[in-house]
Amino acid sequence: MKPAPFDYHRPQSLAEALALLTELGDEARPLAGGQSLVPMMNMRLARPEHLVDLNDLAEFDFIRDADGAVEIGALVRHRAVERSDLLAATHPLLPAVARTIGHDAIRERGTVGGSLALADPSAQWPLLAVLLDARVDLASQTGRRSVRAADFFTGVFATAAAPDELIVAASFPKLAESEGWAYRSFTRRHGDFAVVAAVATVKLDDDGRIGRARLALCGVGDRPIQLDAVTDQFRGRMLDAAAFGRIAAAAVSPHDDAVASAALRRDLVEVLSAEVLRNAVQRATTRA
Amino acid sequence: MTGGVSSNGPLGKPLPRKEDFRFLTGTGSYLDDIEAPRALHAAFVRSPHAHARLHRIDLSRARTAPGVVAVVGGAEVNQWTLPLRMAPPIEGLHPIEVQTLPTDKVRFQGDPVVCVLAADRYLAEDAAELVEIDYEPLPAVASYAAALAPGAPLVDESLPSNLVSHQSFTTGDLARRFAEADRVVEVTFSQRRQTHLPIETRGCLAMWDEGRQHLTYHNPNQVPHPLRSTLAARLGLGESQVTVIVPDIGGGFGQKIALYREELTVAALARHLKRPVRWREDRLENLLSSSHAREDVARLRAAVTNAGTILALDLELEEDFGAYCFYPANYLARVVAMILTGAYKVKNYRFDVKVALTNKCGNGPMRAPMAITSWIIEGLMDKIARDLSLDPVEVRRRNMLRSSELPYVTATGQRLEDITPYQTMERGLDAIDYAGFRERQAEARAAGRHLGFGLCVVVESTTYGSAFYKAAGIPGSGHEAAWVKIEPSGAVNASVGLMASGQGYETAFSQVVAAAIGIDPAQVQLHIGNTDVAPYGMGSRGARGGTAGGNALHLAATEVKDKALAIAAQLLNLNSPDQLRIANGSVERLVGGDWVKTELTLAVIARTAYLDPLRLPAGMEPGLEAHRAYDPPPMTFSNAAHLCEVEVTLATGTVRILRYIIAEDCGTVLNEMIVEGQQHGATALGIAGALYEAIDYDSEGQLRNGTLADYLVPTACEIPSFEIIPMHTPNRQNPIGSKGMAEGGVMGAIGAIGNAVNDALEPLGVEATQQPFSPEYLRSLLRTQVAAGAVKAARRGEARPR
Amino acid sequence: MTKVPIRLAVNGEAHEFLAEPRKLLSDALREDLHLTGTHIGCEHGVCGACTVWIDGKPARSCLIFAVQMQGHEVTTIEAIAQDGRLSPLQQAMHEEHGLQCGFCTPGIVMSFEAWLRDRPEPNEGAVRDLLSGNLCRCTGYQNIVRAVLKAARQLRGETR
Repeated sequence: MKPAPFDYHRPQSLAEALALLTELGDEARPLAGGQSLVPMMNMRLARPEHLVDLNDLAEFDFIRDADGAVEIGALVRHRAVERSDLLAATHPLLPAVARTIGHDAIRERGTVGGSLALADPSAQWPLLAVLLDARVDLASQTGRRSVRAADFFTGVFATAAAPDELIVAASFPKLAESEGWAYRSFTRRHGDFAVVAAVATVKLDDDGRIGRARLALCGVGDRPIQLDAVTDQFRGRMLDAAAFGRIAAAAVSPHDDAVASAALRRDLVEVLSAEVLRNAVQRATTRA
Repeated sequence: MTGGVSSNGPLGKPLPRKEDFRFLTGTGSYLDDIEAPRALHAAFVRSPHAHARLHRIDLSRARTAPGVVAVVGGAEVNQWTLPLRMAPPIEGLHPIEVQTLPTDKVRFQGDPVVCVLAADRYLAEDAAELVEIDYEPLPAVASYAAALAPGAPLVDESLPSNLVSHQSFTTGDLARRFAEADRVVEVTFSQRRQTHLPIETRGCLAMWDEGRQHLTYHNPNQVPHPLRSTLAARLGLGESQVTVIVPDIGGGFGQKIALYREELTVAALARHLKRPVRWREDRLENLLSSSHAREDVARLRAAVTNAGTILALDLELEEDFGAYCFYPANYLARVVAMILTGAYKVKNYRFDVKVALTNKCGNGPMRAPMAITSWIIEGLMDKIARDLSLDPVEVRRRNMLRSSELPYVTATGQRLEDITPYQTMERGLDAIDYAGFRERQAEARAAGRHLGFGLCVVVESTTYGSAFYKAAGIPGSGHEAAWVKIEPSGAVNASVGLMASGQGYETAFSQVVAAAIGIDPAQVQLHIGNTDVAPYGMGSRGARGGTAGGNALHLAATEVKDKALAIAAQLLNLNSPDQLRIANGSVERLVGGDWVKTELTLAVIARTAYLDPLRLPAGMEPGLEAHRAYDPPPMTFSNAAHLCEVEVTLATGTVRILRYIIAEDCGTVLNEMIVEGQQHGATALGIAGALYEAIDYDSEGQLRNGTLADYLVPTACEIPSFEIIPMHTPNRQNPIGSKGMAEGGVMGAIGAIGNAVNDALEPLGVEATQQPFSPEYLRSLLRTQVAAGAVKAARRGEARPR
Repeated sequence: MTKVPIRLAVNGEAHEFLAEPRKLLSDALREDLHLTGTHIGCEHGVCGACTVWIDGKPARSCLIFAVQMQGHEVTTIEAIAQDGRLSPLQQAMHEEHGLQCGFCTPGIVMSFEAWLRDRPEPNEGAVRDLLSGNLCRCTGYQNIVRAVLKAARQLRGETR
């Protein structure tokens, strides 16, 4: 399982990286953590003729508090998110979820930008991005633009990024002070990609009823989905996690594949949705 | 309580292993670590189709690719080698012949067709992509049922059908027993296809010495001498023209026994090109085209009384063997069916075993090939209990052999003695607090949690002796051979015809030899795996190493010690060595009831034997070495009880193991720590098959889960801790008293988990009969049951059941 | 097929050799530097047998190209024992029989030596969590867990 030959490039600046991508076109792939790309190259499922190694672009290794959101540079490793004091204080949902990505050695190398660019439908970062309506910042030789998460993920391993664009950062809106959150994934083994995963946030009214709730799921289609149609039904109601789960399960149209049947995915949506709602409410109650 | 040898000696002690240093520091020597300058690297071109006729094969572009030295297919290689012919004279088993590389057609996705040799593996893979092969796809059969359906395409066109083996056996009067039974209980159990998956894949390094006309062949292989014999024969070489040197092995589990076609191709190429050639199987190849295992279905009917006593058993077993037979396809019949009755008294028994070929990777024996046996018989016990509303332990008690009933000859003629299944079961039940479990289970059910208890009593067959093979009509021997040499300095070298792949032989066998001689195990050096050095033995498989090899070493070491004492007597001017022994490397003499140390050490005796032979007793040859062979009884048995508590989460179909206890009688153990390690590893492998692992082919024979991301080997978060209760009693049938072990754990886990999950699901009227018990499978059962319940309730006009 | 200069700092020593950019770090260590303690089990990042440190952090060397390592420090299993003396973790693995065939062992040692540097609390759940990134087919993991917990206790000065 040895990769096919390629020429290796190691730009020292964003400008250089973008120039390379433009010049080399379709035959070039950017390399960040490599935890997803290199296995595919070793299996010769991916065979770029040029590899553009982004790991020297230190300017994109930052985590910043930007008022209503946190900005995370594309080259930030999952491990750094997991251990970030800033995020523990301002956006604890992100480190809690980052901790569930693969295994330690994978988290030491894998990057936030890489995960968003790959758009694996079962991965954690696309799911978080969709839940929080994150903003993905892209750069190309012609300039910069931002795309909202809902528009960014277009299918399995497919995004709205053009071949000559690089993700440089993503901005994740913060939760409100008393907003509860919870993430749960179902895997066969510890560290596997999720079969189905659910993440929820909940703001409670003064009398403990559900104010604003958000639910996002992955593993029920070709990209993560927001279920506002479900969460809207629970506004103003007391917690009924079981009902929430049932309605969420009825609202999705999962697929059959070699990993899991649609029926199992639906079962898992029911269980996980109920659980994240329950846990998010509990967190909201504690924080209130 | 161990017996047979001095209990003060090192035998049995949990000594940390000698082999650890190199493994811990990364200085081991596995196949890929061996340097061979100038070696060419091989890569294989494999069929993408499950079944296809081979037409034009164009190697021209590949041959001119950078760094390529040779590209060959069956057209060349088959001329340099003989095909594999397996035709043991066994009724019901079809003879088969397999070419080294296929030229007519390919039989499974991954079948090797062409071999590319280049300066490195990267270049070889590049060139492999340039090989052009015209395949004419043929219809494929990817299941047992499809393979035996009328008009099914033939996997092996030399056979009349895809039924490659069919064996049956009857003893007793089944018709009468079934007629007089109060009840007939039926169970079905099946296992999905699995694969051995050692962390080190296969490979080899072949070096041909043109001057000496000699092949030196490095291969991680569990059976060095049988391999040498086969390799020499297939290459048309004399057996003394081949040396097999086995390096450290990174796990075997039965996958590293056969001479596979890739390895033979590499050896033939090395000889033809007169250059070293090496091959490293990569993980995708290992999953796709190495060897698979299990994928069997068993249907068992039992004639029982209302008290749960078994009158007769009728077993049907079917195995999906894959496309090629690198092992005789009747293996399943030989072992599973023959030991099915386990610890129970059953004299009326019939079995019928069928094995079919399919267009999938061929099967090979995987640690505990007979594993399904335990689930079948122990699952039957639980089913009898459920059907008759009896306690499952009580059903076992009514049918199980007690020590007073041994020796007992089973329905298939196996002689059971020195086993203690009843004792291990009772002890295990006590340890897990079975009495309190039902109460805990009831409380949990009231709270909506589904706990289950599983018991599996294992009688593990190990160490087949030559008489076993003869009775089964199979050519082959069960003996093992060893030599022990005390060198002039007093250092001790020993060898045996086995090969380690993690079992700690260097330590355990040092203990055997040291115990027999009377020295520190640290003084003994074991040399194995080199066929020029080690004596001809049958190798390591079927949990035979400890018993077959241990006893051979014990006999050789004892003989050498006896000679040393005879020399000592001579040197001490004594008439006989009867009052002498060796302890801690010195000769001691019994004086007035006490052992007194003399000035004679083993080193002095050895120096005399080699360098001063005129001082030896009259007629004694110089030197101090012995070479012995040991042929064990036809079968040897160890036994265990596996007990576990699980929780099944109905909503997701997940199973969590809460507690796992193993009470085991392995006979005299060579090293307690190593034995426990084997128990952990075997049980973990059984759990893997019971809950996680399944090779997944589609109906066209395409492998759907051929990477480690989707073939689910469990991690440390899925495997629980095991509580081990040692209950070893000696085996009086061999000098050391050992029983063999290391496969029983797989058997126990499959049965214990099988029973525990079904115990948990019992109130839902659901029976799980196919392993692995994946969430997908359990949810499908539960959904159907809930739906059926809802339909029934709706018909009755009742509220929906919860 | 064009080879480029590869500059690697491994176990404190600088090396330079020619290789294709596609040469994996795992292969370069084994073949060009003859450090065969790092083993190859899958080449797709799942089994963990190839674990080394890059700048002191565990990484799967089968997912890194050797050419990427210029400017970084690579540490392999060969650097753990000092002058033939086993580290506390290696010694604990030996005492607790935490290895059988040994093929996965270097990867496990590298994963845990990094973790133990921070003198963490010996917590079985945390150990199994980290260990889940290394597949073992022989031991059933139990003795490896015991060994790591033992080493963790020793490093924190707890004698039990």
